Amino acid sequence: MTATLTRTPTSTAGSRLSRLRRVRRLRPGPLTYLTLTAFVFFSAFPLYWSVVVASRDNSVLGRVPPPLFPGDQLIANLRRVFDTVPFGLAMVNSLIVSSVITFSVVLFSTLAGFAFAKLRFRGRPGLYVAVIATMMVPTQLGIIPLYMLMAKLELIDSLYAVIAPNLVSAFGVFFMTQYLTAALPTELLEAGRVDGATTIRLFWHVVLPVARPAAAVLGMLTFMNAWNDFFWPLVVLTPENPTVQVLLSSIASGYFTDYSLTLTGTALATLPLILVLAVLGKQLIRGIMQGAVKG
Amino acid sequence: MRRGHRLGAAALAVTAMLAALAACGSGGSGNGGGGSQGKTKIVIGTFGEFGYEPLYAEYEKLHPDIDIVARVTKAEDHHKNLAAHLATNQGSADIEAIEEGWIGQFKAQPDKFVNLLDLGAGDLKSQWPEWKWQTSVSKDGKQIGLGTDVGGMAMCYRTDLFKKAGLPTDRDQVSALWNDWDSYIATGKKFAAAKVPGAAFFDGPTVMYRAILGQADVGLYDTSDNVVVESNPSVRGAFDKTIEAINAGLSAKIIAWSPDWNAGFQKGSFATIACPAWMLAQIQDLAKDSAGKWDVAKIPGGTGNWGGSFLTIPKQSKHQKEAFALAKWLTSPEQQAKVFRGAGLFPSTLTLYKDPVITDFKSPFFNNAPVGKIFSDSVATMKPQYLGPKAGDINTAIINGLTRVEQGKQSPDQAWQQAVSEIKQIV
Amino acid sequence: MPGPAPLKEFDVKSWLYRADVKASPYLYISPFFLVFGALGVFPLLYTAWVSLHKWSLLSEQHTFVGIDNYTHLLHDSFFWNALGNTVSIWVLSTVPQLVLALLLAHILNNRLRGETIWRTGLLLPNLASVAAVAIIFGQLFGRDFGLINWVLGLAGGGHIDWHAGTATSQLAISIMIIWRWTGYNALIYLAAMQAVPDSLHEAAIIDGASSLQRLRKITIPAIRPTIIFTVIVSTIGGMQVFTEPLLFGAGSNSLTGGSDRQFQTLSLYLYEVGFGRYDFGYASATAWMMFLVIALAAIGNYLLTRRIRRAG
Repeated sequence: MTATLTRTPTSTAGSRLSRLRRVRRLRPGPLTYLTLTAFVFFSAFPLYWSVVVASRDNSVLGRVPPPLFPGDQLIANLRRVFDTVPFGLAMVNSLIVSSVITFSVVLFSTLAGFAFAKLRFRGRPGLYVAVIATMMVPTQLGIIPLYMLMAKLELIDSLYAVIAPNLVSAFGVFFMTQYLTAALPTELLEAGRVDGATTIRLFWHVVLPVARPAAAVLGMLTFMNAWNDFFWPLVVLTPENPTVQVLLSSIASGYFTDYSLTLTGTALATLPLILVLAVLGKQLIRGIMQGAVKG
Repeated sequence: MRRGHRLGAAALAVTAMLAALAACGSGGSGNGGGGSQGKTKIVIGTFGEFGYEPLYAEYEKLHPDIDIVARVTKAEDHHKNLAAHLATNQGSADIEAIEEGWIGQFKAQPDKFVNLLDLGAGDLKSQWPEWKWQTSVSKDGKQIGLGTDVGGMAMCYRTDLFKKAGLPTDRDQVSALWNDWDSYIATGKKFAAAKVPGAAFFDGPTVMYRAILGQADVGLYDTSDNVVVESNPSVRGAFDKTIEAINAGLSAKIIAWSPDWNAGFQKGSFATIACPAWMLAQIQDLAKDSAGKWDVAKIPGGTGNWGGSFLTIPKQSKHQKEAFALAKWLTSPEQQAKVFRGAGLFPSTLTLYKDPVITDFKSPFFNNAPVGKIFSDSVATMKPQYLGPKAGDINTAIINGLTRVEQGKQSPDQAWQQAVSEIKQIV
Repeated sequence: MPGPAPLKEFDVKSWLYRADVKASPYLYISPFFLVFGALGVFPLLYTAWVSLHKWSLLSEQHTFVGIDNYTHLLHDSFFWNALGNTVSIWVLSTVPQLVLALLLAHILNNRLRGETIWRTGLLLPNLASVAAVAIIFGQLFGRDFGLINWVLGLAGGGHIDWHAGTATSQLAISIMIIWRWTGYNALIYLAAMQAVPDSLHEAAIIDGASSLQRLRKITIPAIRPTIIFTVIVSTIGGMQVFTEPLLFGAGSNSLTGGSDRQFQTLSLYLYEVGFGRYDFGYASATAWMMFLVIALAAIGNYLLTRRIRRAG
């Protein structure tokens, strides 16, 4: 089956190919790299700045111009954070919540995206619009009725209460549908059908490989959002069984924000994300590069 | 394609494992007091820093049958969650702290809370200044909270800038400069005339307006929850007095809690700011390199308070008696003294104001100013002022009006008219 | 479809085949609708019901008032002000953001040295904590000691009070939004660009097309569905923008969005009503009106995007 699905390159004359290679090897000029460097610099600066503030005391905010290099208080601030709050449990909880949500969102979005993009069924346009419309409702007020619902289900203070409403995402379905509409060649599916493949087989063997770049991106974005989400977890969880973001809310002192302590906490909370991005990022991006079906 | 399979299978396995873990996690810590047999679990929800941690341990030692669980959240989140938990009659702690800025909103719904008078709080009444006790009494006469700390009010000033302007720097002489707000403004005019570069007399309208309004007998509401902004001359008076100071060119026109405000303490953008006790820690933090330049004098008008909290017991609590016993213990003078020594929260009990713990307390950062005495003087004689449900929003509307004048967008009259019409829309 | 089947066994097979084709689409979309039906529908219906009441979060008394909240909202100057601000911030931020993202993705779609660094760099603004972002932009846009005003001062310009003015505050907020979301969108475009067959680009390169020409003639038409996706998603997101104006207004009047509500967005207003004043009924009505506005904006943009694509 694999053989029928992989399209062989169309006729290529030798001279064209060699010229092509030469063209592809032309690398973008220094201006491109300068632009990109500037972009990454501006993007990374707040992260760096978090470390600077985390390694100093609150007087950083009163200084003009602000200091640009880390100070010597990092260890002291870290100790203060760990003394105040149990970070270990929160990290494990956040990891569980974010992983389950990410896996579920990517799987269900790809399934639904496949159906909406390439399968014919009655009511498709209406259902698709319904999916998109669910994104348009402002969610802030939903926490009150959702809380009532969770209380009825006796899920308050449990991780299920955070996971359950996030198991699917309209954003994900919309994204996957739009991506697969363009990226998934219909002929490929028809060829599979002719071979007698069932829909689930098509999904597994044809759709999933094509969907990989988008799935990787969706997975990264979902993980990040789930990790950083605090609005709902703060209402439904308590500091006794918190996620990282819930815990961060308890790092505050008195009537004003202790910025060095807060940023020490947030820098710690971001660390796993950066690790995920650093370790998985390379894999995911390689996945983006190699996963796509190319003609 | 092969890789896709293996990746998928691995992800599935990991998820199954994590889901199992999640199940364990919620099972383990889910039901109340399951772990400690026979103990009553009292959950107490506070925000920021109350300095209670060592006290919980002490209380548990004194009462082996009690297990205290602390929940700490940021102030805004804490009160928002409390509102959600009260609205759904689910999930609140046995003791919930409420800050002064929110107490008006919550006491408008006294049925959601235990009336502490039923549990014998009436016997404790004399512990607090009259106004602190009244602040948490609902309009139908129920007491919903026991006072923890207070803010008090003083006037922080920069000795270096005063010196440059040719004003006295000694705190007693400075206090004598402003017995009331008129003389405060007059002093400000002298300061402005000296044209100290880069420095205005006060920071901006927020703190000044609140300090003036706080000294009135009647504020934004009458005692039956009617908004009296238009009919009560004190409100317009506080507005006009602040405008007078702005028009005299005394304001640095900085919005409170903005980055310019934070930097202003260090850079000396303003020479004075009305400061509650809790603000001292903030100034000390932000203006670390200005040690010795800041000092503390009396507030014009002599009294005032900003901030402070209460411990309440929501009706949904299943351990109201035990919760009350704990709240009563935590707010007693002995414990408040410990909190003051440990976390620096200014106590709300009258006996402590005569106790050396407070009267002898000086702040090295502020030139050894006797801040204990200054702040207790400001709260001991303060008059009670009734705080209505939407006092916070109404104050925001008025302060926004003052800011509009400062920013040159409107005349004082226009700003007042707009504030009044906004307030009508809010209530 | 297979022709008439003489054998019984074949009949079963073809029935199964047809059942698979007919039913499996519903099976695949069912997880979304099941979870949403279980946990999403109730909150929606509940807020719709609440919006017909005078309903304080702190009160047990809920009086039915019909559509009073809605008629009141239509005469609420704060609501219209917030709507206007939301639209202008949306225009100021979304257009540059999507164009920049497209260009950035196009650059990153080349063979670059150290491509992992550049690509992971796209997500960094989203990783930074809200607190860090608030502090940094506060220091950028400060009136007295802000970095931007300092640079303007060096160039001989005056100090701008970024927070006070309507245009300046909305511009500053738009810059925050662009900073935070450009990389995010670029990553989405980049994923879509991976599916554009190399052969198309190669043919164009051989024909001597410049990089920008390839972007216009090949990439954009090929990833059109994803562009529609980002336009609609950023319309919805832009209409609900909340964090950036809240952070920008850090200080005593953050929920009102400035002294004259000059940068209060719809979400900020919704939050002020719902969790500042605990007026759940009116806030619910505001939420449903917002839904209507967002739906209109999304439909409008969808039609616009389609027209552009037809014209182009």
